[in-house]
Amino acid sequence: MNIPDDLNYTEQHEWVRFADGVATVGISDFAQDAFGDLVFVDLPPLDKEFVRGDEVIAMESTKAAASVYAPVSGKVVEVNERLVDDPGLVNSDCYGEGWMFKLAAPDPAGLDDLMDAAGYEAFLTGLEED
Amino acid sequence: MTTLIRIDLPTCDYDSALRLQRRLVARVAADDTAAYLILTEHDPPVITLGRRGSSSDILASPQQLADSGTEVRRSGRGGLATWHGPGQLVAYPVLRLDRGRRSVHGHVRNLEEAVLQTLARFDLAGRRRDGEAGVWAGDAKIASVGVAVQRWVSFHGVALNVCNDLSAFEMIVPCGRPGGAVTSMTEMLGREVSVEDVADSFAEAFADICGFDEGPTLADGEMDA
Repeated sequence: MNIPDDLNYTEQHEWVRFADGVATVGISDFAQDAFGDLVFVDLPPLDKEFVRGDEVIAMESTKAAASVYAPVSGKVVEVNERLVDDPGLVNSDCYGEGWMFKLAAPDPAGLDDLMDAAGYEAFLTGLEED
Repeated sequence: MTTLIRIDLPTCDYDSALRLQRRLVARVAADDTAAYLILTEHDPPVITLGRRGSSSDILASPQQLADSGTEVRRSGRGGLATWHGPGQLVAYPVLRLDRGRRSVHGHVRNLEEAVLQTLARFDLAGRRRDGEAGVWAGDAKIASVGVAVQRWVSFHGVALNVCNDLSAFEMIVPCGRPGGAVTSMTEMLGREVSVEDVADSFAEAFADICGFDEGPTLADGEMDA
């Protein structure tokens, strides 16, 4: 399971990269693997404001639909348009070309609630127990 | 070990079943030691469209829908158009999919496997098709799968044609396949099978496949206990 050191993670299996007041968001390797091959990604409109925990993206595999949530509150400043025609990028490169959206979050409240890579790895290990 | 609590709703309209599922999703998201399996038949009948489904997949006229008492609902599940109604077993498992090495695609496979094992108990051979979700008997579809996941908790699920009137599927383009053939257990067996009989087999098979303990069975109205 690939868990890059330089990212933060949520319990819903999103990853976040903060740089210059912008949070770039995608789903983790665990999430893309557990969900399966994506066939459809519904991106949010630019400039839309989200509160932490809101559903930002609807995604579908062959027969399942799921959501991606805002890890922090903020306004959408960019979306990964390539996912419209090629949602499989999320499966092939979830931390790179499969990024999903960027939120302007100059003072991201809730940042402390996110996990670092070691914390997320421990969280995943805990989930293996049923 | 996770305990599977079964909830039997002899018949239930689509909206009420969805409300119950949403309550259970919130409950499982807060406490994942339990999992739920709702078993019901939808009455009145309902045509549902998945998020990507198009209203052009509904072939029936508004008058035909009204005459047959069929509701139409947009649904947050995966997949396109399908029909539910009396005589069809609908199973909605509500459980955490990021626990215990489960997965979303594994959950879809488990639903199909539970249908296959249920059919086998009635000496029917079902099969999967590559690249598609659902179960076929011969060349006709006998069960449809469409799952939704909210905060990694599943809802919606699988619908197995037991003894329903198959002509209702003529009102839609089932799962985006124009003229796609459908069948039922009763049609395949050449004798009437009841949803009740099939529900027990399905619940046992599903619990077994998931490795869950079979917990109590609750009836309508006991969910808040």
